[in-house]
Amino acid sequence: MTRILTRHTDQPDQVQLDVARRGGAYQGFEAALSRSRQEVIQEVEASGLRGRGGAGFPTGRKWSFIHPAPDRPVYLLCNADESEPGTFKDHYLLKRDPHLVLEGIAIAAYAIGAHKAYLYLRGEYASLAMVMAGAIEQAKAAGILGDSCLGSGYGLRVSIQLGAGAYICGEETGLIQSLEGRRAYPRVRPPFPASAGFLDQPTVVNNVETLANLPWIMTEGADRYAGVGTGRSAGTKLVSLSGQVSRPGVYEVTMGRPLLQFLNEEGGGMPPGRQLKAVIPGGTSVPILSADEAAGVTIDYESMQAAGTMLGSGGMIAFDDTAQMPPALLRIAEFYAHESCGECTPCREGTGWMAWVLKRLLAGEGRVNDLDLLLRTGDNMEGRTICGLGDAAVQPVQSFIRKFRPEFEALLPPAPDPSPPWQRHGHGPRSARMGPPAVEAALSEPVEGPPTASL
Amino acid sequence: MPLVTVDGQQIEVEPGATIIQAADRLGVEIPRFCYHPDLRPEGNCRMCLVQVEGFARLVVACATPVTDGMVVSSPHTSAETAEAVQGVLEFLLINHPLDCPICDQAGECSLQDFYMHPDYGLHTSQVDVVEKVRKRKRIELGPRIVLDSERCVMCSRCVRFSADISGLAELQFIHRGNRVELIAFEDRALEDPYAGNLADLCPVGALTSRDFRFRRRVWHLAHTDSVCAGCSTGCNLRIDHAENRIERLVPRRNPAVNSSWICDEGRLSYLRANGPDRLSQPLLSGGEEVAWPDGIRHAQELLATDDASGTRPLLALASASATNESLLLFKHLVTRAFPHHRLDFRLSQETDLVGARQDHLLRRWDKHPNTMGAFYLGFSEQPGGLDDYLQAAEAGDCVALVLLYYPPLVGDELPPVAAALARLLELCPHSVVLTTHRLPYLKGASLSLPVAAWAEEEGTYTNYQGTVQHSAKATEPPGAAREATAVLADLLHTFTNHRPSTAPEVLFAELEHTVAAYRGLDYQHLPSRLASVYPPEGRMHYGEEGFSGR
Repeated sequence: MTRILTRHTDQPDQVQLDVARRGGAYQGFEAALSRSRQEVIQEVEASGLRGRGGAGFPTGRKWSFIHPAPDRPVYLLCNADESEPGTFKDHYLLKRDPHLVLEGIAIAAYAIGAHKAYLYLRGEYASLAMVMAGAIEQAKAAGILGDSCLGSGYGLRVSIQLGAGAYICGEETGLIQSLEGRRAYPRVRPPFPASAGFLDQPTVVNNVETLANLPWIMTEGADRYAGVGTGRSAGTKLVSLSGQVSRPGVYEVTMGRPLLQFLNEEGGGMPPGRQLKAVIPGGTSVPILSADEAAGVTIDYESMQAAGTMLGSGGMIAFDDTAQMPPALLRIAEFYAHESCGECTPCREGTGWMAWVLKRLLAGEGRVNDLDLLLRTGDNMEGRTICGLGDAAVQPVQSFIRKFRPEFEALLPPAPDPSPPWQRHGHGPRSARMGPPAVEAALSEPVEGPPTASL
Repeated sequence: MPLVTVDGQQIEVEPGATIIQAADRLGVEIPRFCYHPDLRPEGNCRMCLVQVEGFARLVVACATPVTDGMVVSSPHTSAETAEAVQGVLEFLLINHPLDCPICDQAGECSLQDFYMHPDYGLHTSQVDVVEKVRKRKRIELGPRIVLDSERCVMCSRCVRFSADISGLAELQFIHRGNRVELIAFEDRALEDPYAGNLADLCPVGALTSRDFRFRRRVWHLAHTDSVCAGCSTGCNLRIDHAENRIERLVPRRNPAVNSSWICDEGRLSYLRANGPDRLSQPLLSGGEEVAWPDGIRHAQELLATDDASGTRPLLALASASATNESLLLFKHLVTRAFPHHRLDFRLSQETDLVGARQDHLLRRWDKHPNTMGAFYLGFSEQPGGLDDYLQAAEAGDCVALVLLYYPPLVGDELPPVAAALARLLELCPHSVVLTTHRLPYLKGASLSLPVAAWAEEEGTYTNYQGTVQHSAKATEPPGAAREATAVLADLLHTFTNHRPSTAPEVLFAELEHTVAAYRGLDYQHLPSRLASVYPPEGRMHYGEEGFSGR
C-alpha cells in the first residue's frame, strides 16, 4: 500500500530536522513555493483531499473561500485539539513526525496567503508542545520558516497555543474564540471563518492529519494522490484503533479497505474466543455499527455514509460480545454532558438530561418510557444547536438504543400493573419502581465498556 | 432591498437585516431570550428557530440575514417550528427552579410568557427531575442587582451588555454544560453606573432589581410612558406606578436617544419626587401655611410693589427643569405683567454643559432636562444668569424676584448655586418662589408656592439634541401642590385679567407657532411617544380573561 502519512513515523530521530530532510521533508513546501498560490489550491482541489478532522469537507474548496485583501491578514489555524473519544492519530503524527505537520502548515499557509499560523494544541498534549516548538525552532534556524521561507520571499511565522482541556476547543469557531483569549463558545454562522474568523479576519482551520497530507500531494502530484483510495475518498486515513481488539494502535489505511479485514489483520481480531459485537468507526460522536452492519462496510466516506454512520476522525472502537452497551453508552453520554460548553440550550440541558436518564436507568430506577424519552430528547437536540457538538452527543445515544434496544429494555421496570391496587399482591409503589432482576444481574457483572483511558 | 415573507406577510428590509428584525417590523412575534435589538446577536437560546423554505434545518431568526425571496414560517404557523421551540422550552425548564410564586419576575417573565403561549407552550413535561442542578442563589451584586443563578437561562444578554455597552465586562459564565453559572468576579459589587439595566435585560428572574424587588407584583402596576428629567439627555422611560406612587422606572427603547438603556441615577430619580420633604401648601416667609387664594393674593401684593423710579427691574428666573409649557406661561407672566424685567434660566453653566458627556454612554453633565427648551424660548440674554442677577441685587438693582425652581433629580444642587440662590432671596426685597420641595437654600423666600414635580405634570422637554420629547403625568402632586402651568395661569389672570389655557396641547401649539425650532411638530406624535419597552411585554396571550391580579 502507499504510505503517505506514516512513511517516516518509525524513523528514529525523525524529530531532528536533518534526519527529516534526509527523508524528503520540506521538499513539498519547496515545490509549493515554486508555484503560485492559486496553483497550489488547484492542485489540492484536484487531489480530492478532504478534511480529516471529522467533517470531510474538501480542503481545496475550503481554501478557495479565502480572498486576501491588503488590509485583512489571513490566518491558518492548525487544529491539534484532538479530543474526540477514541481518537489519537494526531498525537501520533505530532510526536513522531513533527516536521511533516509543520510542512503541511507551511504549504497551507502559503496557499491561502497567510503569514501567521497557529498550532492550537490540546492542553493534555503539553509534552508535544515541546516537540513542535523544537521543530519550529529548527525550521526557523534553517531558514525554512521566517521572513523569507527557503529564500522565496514568502514569510511565515508559526506559534503554538496550548488549550486547557476542553472538547469544545476542537470545534473550529470554539477554537478561534479560545485562541482569541475568550471563553470557547462556538460562534453562530454566518459569518464563516473564511470571511471573519480569528480576530475577525479571514481564517482557515485545518486538522493536523489533513495538513500532513499536503507535502506528499505537492511532491507526488494530485493525480497520484487521487489514484490512492476510492471514489470520492482519495488518499489514506489514519485510524486510531482501540477497544477489544488484539492490537490496538494507529494505522494508516488506504481508503476503501474493508472494515472487518482491517480489524482482523491490522487489529489482530478479537481476543481469543470472542466475536465482534459492534464497532464505532470514527470517534464516539458517530453512530455505532453492529457487527452485521460492519460486515459490508469499507473505510471511506461514501461507504460509511451509506451504512448510516461517518468516517469521522477515524477513532475506531471495537466491542466484542462480552461488552455491555448500556454502561458503555452512559460513559459516552457522561463525556458529552461534561464537555458540552453550555452555550446553547438544547445541548447544555439535553446532554446533561440524557446522561441523567441513562444513569437512573442503570441504577435500576428507570421509567417505563425512558428509552423513548431519550430518543425524543435527541430529536429535540439534533440540528438545533450552534455547533456540531449537539449532534455529536445525540448520535451515540440514538444509535446505541436503536441497535441494541433489548439490552436497554432489560433495564426498564415492568409496565405498570393495570389491575386496581386492591387486587395486587405485595406490589407497593416502591417495589414497582425497582428494576427487574436483570438489572441487578447486569450490574453485578464487571463492566467492560470501551477502554476508559481514551474516553 | 430583499423582500421576505414571514407567516404569509411580506416586507422589504435593508440588506443585512435579520429574520427576527423583519418579523418584529411585521408584528410577528418570534419568541426569544438571547436576542436584543441593541446587543450583538449570539444565537444561543435557540428559541427563535424558524423554518425557511429550501433550508434543510431550522435556523435562528436572530442571526440569519434575510435574502431576497426568503419565505419564513414562525412557530405560529409551522408545526415543525412550534415543536422545536417547545423542545427548547422543555430543556430550559429541566433545571429551572419553577419558583414563580416567590419570583419577582413573575408576570413579566419571558419563560413564563412563552410557556403560557398556546402556539408553542403549554407542553406536558416528559421530564420528571428528582434532582435539579443546584446553583447559587441571592447573590447581591452591588447596590442595584441580585443574582439567582438557578433561574438563569444563560442567554448572556447581561454578559454582552456588560462587555459591549457599559464596557466594564463585569459578568462572565463559568463551568460547562448544565453547570454553567453566571458570576461577577469574586462576587464583587458591580461598579457599572448602568447596572440597573441588567434587571430589565434579564428575560427571567435571574437578575432582579434590589430597588424594586418585592415592592409590588408587576401586574398591579399602571404604566405611563415618559422621559427622564435627570439630565439633558432625556432618556425615554416608562413610569410604573400604583396607588399614586411611583414604584420604578424602566427604559423605553428609542435608538435616537437612549437605545434601550437608562443610567442608575435616572432610574432612581423618582425617589426624590416620592420623598417626604415635599412642599404641599403655599408657605409664607414666617412659616405660615396659607390656602391657594391667599397665596395668589400674597403673590400679587409682593410683586405689584410700585417701583417709584421705574428703573429697577423685576428679576425672573425659571430653571431649565421646567417644561416648555411652564416656561411659556412664565415668559408670558413676566413680559406681560412687568414691563421692566429681566428673564433668564441659567443657574450656572447649563448652556456650556448641555451637550457635555459625563461618560461614553448616556449621562450628561447638565442636570436639567430642558436647557435647550429654555434657550429656544429666549430665556437668556447677555449678560445674565444667576451670578449676574446676584450682582444686580447686591447693587440694589432689583425690585422683586420670581423664581420657578426644581431641585435636580440626580444629585444635589451645586453648592455655589444653592448659596447664590439663598443670597439672592436675602437681597431681593420681595420674592415669590414656585418650587416642589422645602429646600433650606430657598427658606428666604417671601412666599413659596408648591408646584408639581416631574411625573406629576404633563408637558415637553427639549433635550440636548434639540429633540422635543413628551413627559407625562403619572401621579398627582402631593397636598395642595398644583401644576406650575396652573399656578402661572392664576398669576397671569391676577395681573393681566386674562386666563390662558393650561392644556399642554394648546400651549404646545403656541410653541410650535412661535419657536422656529418647533415648526411642524405635532404634540400627539412627538418621536418619544413611539419609543417601545424592550423586551416587549403585555402582548402575550393568557386566554380570554387575562391576568387581572385579583
